[in-house]
Amino acid sequence: MKDTDPEVFGAHSRRTFLKSLGTAAVTAAAAQSQSVAAELQKLNSEKVIGPNAVPVTLTVNGDKLKLMLEPRVTLLDALRNYSSLTGAKEGCDRATCGACTVMIDDVPVYSCQKLAIEAQGHKITTVEGLAKHGKLTKVQQAFVEKDALMCGYCTPGFIMSLTALFNRNAHPTADEIKHACAGNICRCGTQPHIMQAALQVAGNPIKSKTELINNA
Amino acid sequence: MKAFQYATAHSFDSARQLVADNNGAYIAGGNDLLGLLKEYLASPDLLVNIKALPGLNKIDRGSNTWTFGALVTVAEIENDPHVAKTFPGLQQAAAEVGSQQIRNVASVGGNLAQHSRCWYFRHRDTHCLKKGGDLCYARHGENRYHSLFTGNTCISPVVSNLATAFAALDAKVVVLRDGKETPMTIAELYQGAWENPQAHNSLKPGDMIVRVEVPTIRNVSAYIQASDKHAFDWALVSCAAAATIVDGELSQPRVALGCISPVPYQVEAANEFLQGKRLDDETVAKAADMILKDAQPHEHNGYKVPMAHALIRRTLLKLKG
Amino acid sequence: MPSWPANPKYISHETRRIDAPAKVTGSARYASDANPGGWLYGMILRSKWPAAKINSISFEKARQIPGIKAVVLAPAIEERQKNSSDLTLRYYGEEIAGVAGSTKQACLDALKAIEIDVTELPFVVLEDDAKADDAPKVWADQPNTSPAKPKESGDVDKAFSDCAAVIEGFYTTSVQIHHPMETHGNTVSWTPDGITCWASTQGITSVHDGLASALKVDQSKVRVITEYMGGGFGAKFGPGPHGIIAAKLSREANAPVRLMLTRFDQALAAGNRPSTFQKIKMGAKEDGTLHAFQLENYGTSGIGGTSGGGGGAGSDVPAPYIYKVPNTRVNHTAITTNAGPATAFRAPRNPPASFAMESAMDDLAVKMNIDPVEFRLKNDPSEIRQREYKIGAEKFGWKAKYKKPGSSPGVVKTGIGCAGSTWGGGGNRRTRGEAQVNPDGTIEVRLGVQDLGTGTRTVIAVIAAEVLGLTPEQITVRIGDTNLPFGPGSGGSTTCASISPTVLDTCTKALQQLQTQTGVPDARGENWFKACKKLGVTPLVVQGQWQEGLSSSGAGGVQFAEVDVDTETGLVTVKKIVAVHDCGLMIDTLTLESQINGGIIMGMGYALYEERVMDDLSGVVLNPNFETYKLSTISDVPDIEVVLLNMPERGVIGIGEPATIPTAAAIANAIANALGVRVSSIPITPAKVLTALGKVPAPAKA
Repeated sequence: MKDTDPEVFGAHSRRTFLKSLGTAAVTAAAAQSQSVAAELQKLNSEKVIGPNAVPVTLTVNGDKLKLMLEPRVTLLDALRNYSSLTGAKEGCDRATCGACTVMIDDVPVYSCQKLAIEAQGHKITTVEGLAKHGKLTKVQQAFVEKDALMCGYCTPGFIMSLTALFNRNAHPTADEIKHACAGNICRCGTQPHIMQAALQVAGNPIKSKTELINNA
Repeated sequence: MKAFQYATAHSFDSARQLVADNNGAYIAGGNDLLGLLKEYLASPDLLVNIKALPGLNKIDRGSNTWTFGALVTVAEIENDPHVAKTFPGLQQAAAEVGSQQIRNVASVGGNLAQHSRCWYFRHRDTHCLKKGGDLCYARHGENRYHSLFTGNTCISPVVSNLATAFAALDAKVVVLRDGKETPMTIAELYQGAWENPQAHNSLKPGDMIVRVEVPTIRNVSAYIQASDKHAFDWALVSCAAAATIVDGELSQPRVALGCISPVPYQVEAANEFLQGKRLDDETVAKAADMILKDAQPHEHNGYKVPMAHALIRRTLLKLKG
Repeated sequence: MPSWPANPKYISHETRRIDAPAKVTGSARYASDANPGGWLYGMILRSKWPAAKINSISFEKARQIPGIKAVVLAPAIEERQKNSSDLTLRYYGEEIAGVAGSTKQACLDALKAIEIDVTELPFVVLEDDAKADDAPKVWADQPNTSPAKPKESGDVDKAFSDCAAVIEGFYTTSVQIHHPMETHGNTVSWTPDGITCWASTQGITSVHDGLASALKVDQSKVRVITEYMGGGFGAKFGPGPHGIIAAKLSREANAPVRLMLTRFDQALAAGNRPSTFQKIKMGAKEDGTLHAFQLENYGTSGIGGTSGGGGGAGSDVPAPYIYKVPNTRVNHTAITTNAGPATAFRAPRNPPASFAMESAMDDLAVKMNIDPVEFRLKNDPSEIRQREYKIGAEKFGWKAKYKKPGSSPGVVKTGIGCAGSTWGGGGNRRTRGEAQVNPDGTIEVRLGVQDLGTGTRTVIAVIAAEVLGLTPEQITVRIGDTNLPFGPGSGGSTTCASISPTVLDTCTKALQQLQTQTGVPDARGENWFKACKKLGVTPLVVQGQWQEGLSSSGAGGVQFAEVDVDTETGLVTVKKIVAVHDCGLMIDTLTLESQINGGIIMGMGYALYEERVMDDLSGVVLNPNFETYKLSTISDVPDIEVVLLNMPERGVIGIGEPATIPTAAAIANAIANALGVRVSSIPITPAKVLTALGKVPAPAKA
């Protein structure tokens, strides 16, 4: 995603954020960062940041997002509300549904239960970072072919979980596929087709058992 | 979540100091802590990141004892082929913790220290006994997920899969308390919850689990849990068993149950009974009877008695391989 | 007179979803993704009391939170304030106020800073408690129980005495929550020019009309956009209190506001399927024909009414469901409780009706020692369902698999069961469409309809492609905007039957006009681009509308289930489902199969996992999350085999709802067959299985 300049995103841009705080707050923020530096020198102790917004740099899909975030902002919140990367979805915000699944250093995690500040210095991959130059990955293509999606809201999460699986293991069994996706919930009922799509990518496609009787 | 400050600790002393001085809380994987913060069940002013502390993220395969650093993730335990070979019960327990997304960040220490999952405790608008209120709602209300054995008025059980598995393996949990390493058995780690309705375990403010030490003396172990769903679900009842089996006879057997008491539940008399026995249907049934003898079911959790009985028998028989 | 083509190339075949690439790459934008410039985050303050009278509210401190731009009262509270009526909150989760701010964090802090003083009132949240004479009244001026007039036919009391066998049972179903993966909500921009609303909705027109009327804005100044939405299942109609709150926040803040419900909110106040408690007595004659049926049913829709528009929020059930019994008596009492109001939920009233009736059918069949499929063939009046039972039974291997109840050997017992369903469907005759044929040969088909994930976009593309001799990928489909020609709300399984005739008509007219205008006698297929080029510089825009004779109503199906039940732990595993369904002319069999899979999986959740749990001590919803309101994972989903009966001569009908109706019943019957004893309450938890088997000890004394 090229469009990562936080300046352009609504009220969450640095410009308008500071504007909303007013000059006094800007001065206060500067004063606070001065006092933190003083603390550091005084105690030679750990750097304490926050509670107000601090500079946070996230490396997402190879690009650097430079944001101003409070420590309590989750990675999901940062992606959806401080950038245009809305591919990761908020389904529950409680690490129970998987719609927010992203990869951190190639490992799938719930971005809703990860502080954005803790995701710094790591390689973050979202669904938008998978297809290169518009070419769908094998997993994405299989989803399209097998109709492994319906409303699509859970889809990015499932795709991230499966992409991580196939990155580690090109030929998972059906049980390994289930184990990899157990943390992703779908309400529309795409799971059977997700299995078909994943088994196809695994090189072990199963035939559909659907029977169509015409002019019944 | 309430606003908080954040700092990364680079020494154990500074971690302890930061927490003590600032109404702080340690953050490792963050699964449990962030869940509590989002519901305003905890409101620390400062989160102290302990993931940079040295020496906590390795599995050390010693000759008599293995050590699991507190920052080792549940996923690492699940996926380590050596663990699967030497402590299959622990591996099985790890594999069923949450989902892979959770296991990838969940720490051993955090999994053991996690707070109660009782829905009254976890609810932002019920001020239950454990939160300092007057009433254990579960005792008089919806208690299908709750304890069969309790030492106090609160009936919230321990639900950590790893605690159950570690209990059967006679693990020691090493807690750093006021700068000193304090080893505890699993039973000692949770004794606080048995005695005190407001406690989740025996940890005091500032305590940090640093490692779990597991003796290798037992050559077989197993773990089974029963859950409503086939995946990504808390156990209704979990069971872990471990022993040394020589010539078909049990030596040093341990059976522990999760989700039925604030402590992974063991009955010494049952462990003693199993000593020297061979695993057959009659023996395991008798052991199950002994373990569940004094169960005190509540209105909605009586099903846990037959469920636990079945799990005990099956987990023990699973030791035969 | 248009008609469906005889040997279609695309219709009744598999076509990939045309919006699949957008969804798999994350480029599809939902209401929760909309980010018009300067947008603010919105949140709602909800009642934390099941019943309380508001004495005072102050927003003063909330407004001072840095980043907060607006704070408003919920419309119902504001209305009551204006009328000086009692400001009583009647359920845990009822809307009180809304805040909008530049960050989620500012909003969280602002919610905490709203000062509210209440007097707590007595409340009642459980159905059986609410029925009691001395129960607190949910509405001051009326009783909690509201009995309907009994419906009778024949002489049921005499008829029972003529029966060779009679069964009685008490079958209960839970309050089920829709829980679409995208919660309810909207991004709303209200400026002096009007309102633009990116809605997560099943009915853009319902949101449009609702906003215009509630906010007294000209209808011509309201625009609702739903390009993609993350599921609705019946609850997402109308702007809802949250939509009105978002609009008011937007006007006060002078900025767009994105206000989505949290998952917690969703469990409290976004609608639900009412519970039912059905006492059934049923008897048959010696030859196995049903002769007498009596139902006493009660259930709760919470405080009653519907929060999201749409009908079907009652706890009554059609009885004796799909069966014709000559002597019947049906009683129903609606129970009001201090809980979030019900709203239409995928096949309203039918899954609980099917569960109870089909359970009773099996209970009676077992008592009379008649095979359950034979018993249904004897009593099901639908010729199509008769065929479906026969087809399904053969595919399922019913005869070979059927064993007497409880007779399968071992600790883990196997059982099988079946059930049938019926549904209306049919189309909205006011549906309109438009096609724009461009000189470069591209074609845009426009309808003001929304795609819930049901495949609406693809249906449009398939029919257009069929008419024009193009491929579905060559059709540009534009939907989800009230600026487009009027389209139906997506409910009642009526969307396909509404849009299909409309698209057929629109594209047929477009083809005819293209041919007339350009003088190309047959502009389809390989002649298409040549013909379009002759349009010169002016695209051809053609309107069309719904036409008679291309759709009808009356869909149905039957499902068979095979389960394993562990009789020591009580755990149930659904091994297999065979589903045989008809819905007239099937447009896209690939997306249709997904719909049926989805209905089955939702029905399985209803059977085994789902229930809203109310706490009678505190009045709260105890499971407002996915941790303890349990939805199926991929590991729970059984092997599903689908048989589709394509009946082109009946025209397009609709499938979304019938697919979910009989699943819970089939599974419950399979469990009863496995155990030899009936669990008559869903969800069928291990506790209920073990209790039915007599294995659960009584509670210890308190």
